[in-house]
Amino acid sequence: MTRLTALLGGAFAVLVGLFLIAPVAVTVASSLTTTAYVTFPPQGITLRWYAEVFQKPEFLSSFALSVGVALGAAAVSAVAGLAGGLAIHRYRFPGRAALEAVLSSAFAVPTIVLGIGLLQWFAQMGLASSPFTLLLAHLVLTVPYAVRLVLAGLAGLDRSAEKAAAGLGAPPFAVFWHVTLPAVRGALIGGAFFAFITSFDDLTVALFVVTTDLQTLPVRIFNYMQYDYDPTVTAIGTLMVLFAVVAVVVIERFVGVARLFGADRDQQ
Amino acid sequence: MAAVGRVAGGSLNRSGRRTGLLLALPAILIFALLFVAPLCTLVANSFRTQTGAFTLDNYQRFLGDPFYRDVLWNTLKVAALTTIGCLVVGYPFALYLRGRSPRVRNWLALLLLSPLLISMVIRAYGWLVVLGPQGPVAAVIEWFGLTPPQLLYNDTAVLIGMVHVMLAYMVLPLMGSLDRIDRTLVPAARGLGASGWTCFWRITLPLSAPGMLAGAMIVFSLTASSFVTPAILGGPKVKLMPYFVYTQATVTLDWPYAAAIGFVLVVVTTGLLLAYSRLLRRGGGEVVFG
Repeated sequence: MTRLTALLGGAFAVLVGLFLIAPVAVTVASSLTTTAYVTFPPQGITLRWYAEVFQKPEFLSSFALSVGVALGAAAVSAVAGLAGGLAIHRYRFPGRAALEAVLSSAFAVPTIVLGIGLLQWFAQMGLASSPFTLLLAHLVLTVPYAVRLVLAGLAGLDRSAEKAAAGLGAPPFAVFWHVTLPAVRGALIGGAFFAFITSFDDLTVALFVVTTDLQTLPVRIFNYMQYDYDPTVTAIGTLMVLFAVVAVVVIERFVGVARLFGADRDQQ
Repeated sequence: MAAVGRVAGGSLNRSGRRTGLLLALPAILIFALLFVAPLCTLVANSFRTQTGAFTLDNYQRFLGDPFYRDVLWNTLKVAALTTIGCLVVGYPFALYLRGRSPRVRNWLALLLLSPLLISMVIRAYGWLVVLGPQGPVAAVIEWFGLTPPQLLYNDTAVLIGMVHVMLAYMVLPLMGSLDRIDRTLVPAARGLGASGWTCFWRITLPLSAPGMLAGAMIVFSLTASSFVTPAILGGPKVKLMPYFVYTQATVTLDWPYAAAIGFVLVVVTTGLLLAYSRLLRRGGGEVVFG
């Protein structure tokens, strides 16, 4: 009986695992096909579609734009998140309650609604699409995460360590630099990492902010797929998977992926 | 930097208020200019005609048109089915994870979370290939000598894609809930003669309810408002609210109407979430939201 349930459980877990990796595995495999259309299993093996990607300058410029905007979103989110988290956790100031209310409702507003709201607001302000407006649009998605992660990090910090350091004569900045900052370092890296991923992956908001000349990578792929069914997209997808794997390995080395998601889970 | 240095003191006095405000300023500016202002613009525009005069037409049009009522209904249906799908797949998976060694658990958790790191567009594209006419599913069906049905651009395709995207959001709270269950309860009940099923129904299932309810809430609201996966796997044939917000705003260029549809989406999803959390609170369940 118990052996049977264990066996069934194992089989079920394998099926779920297959389900989880299916779209990615199939994308990677079919990027090697020699046919001019996408098929799985792939027929023959070629790297032609990868060469194709690098011959399309619009994909390369979209990639550069996406990385630039995502790096900007990560940097601004880390700074605004750290400052905002410290302010909410340690100070009382006018607007604190409003800030907290907005912080918790930001997650409840559908991304598509934020997208169309930003479109109409930017139009009203006369702001034309630029990498800068893209960055602004992404900050709405990323800063709430960063603030919440910093708040979670601060909640776990023992204030007596700071008091001890101050009592032993450390100047305020030294206390911040040697005691407070290390305690929230994980939250900061996590916030920046999530900001990067969220911005890099975002299609919903970007669709409303981009123009034909200024498209992030997800928008470029989305538009390309509407008209073409050749395997170029599978090659791009594979490159993006590689990019994600490298990111995970780096994060695992320095922070630990589980901890990152653990911190995220507490926020839900 | 001097302002930052004062944190160790943390105080209620005037300089503390100023420091706090100064520190919060970037976040306040970001939210005021990029969250509150756009949403206010959106609400204001939804009560306007294309030329700017006040009107209730946009809402009357939405609520009066059977087509759009159908869109709203279908949005809620797909979200509910995705939630059920995530529960059916996620609950046994979380139970299985609970009994594994930390090593196996870590690997399976990584497997569960790894899709979150891969672009949503690419994942949806992957399902396009898997379910497409040249894909593995069609190949298997053909191998049995049958003609494969149209697997894409319908509710089922959206459902499969959405369960794939949302599964982690269901399993993580479930795992948290299952981990908190006292590990001696089930052996104690077994010792007193309860069957495995009885233990599951009377101990494990009720005690994991908070995780289940929290997961259901997250999955439902995120699905009802998601755009990317349904747009790619369902297209115009699958009638969902976010897709119509998009087409009204960028194809039809009727901004006031797009704003109204978006605002209805916000009201309906937050309304349902509030009702749900009130229901939970009344039921004595753990408060999981707000």
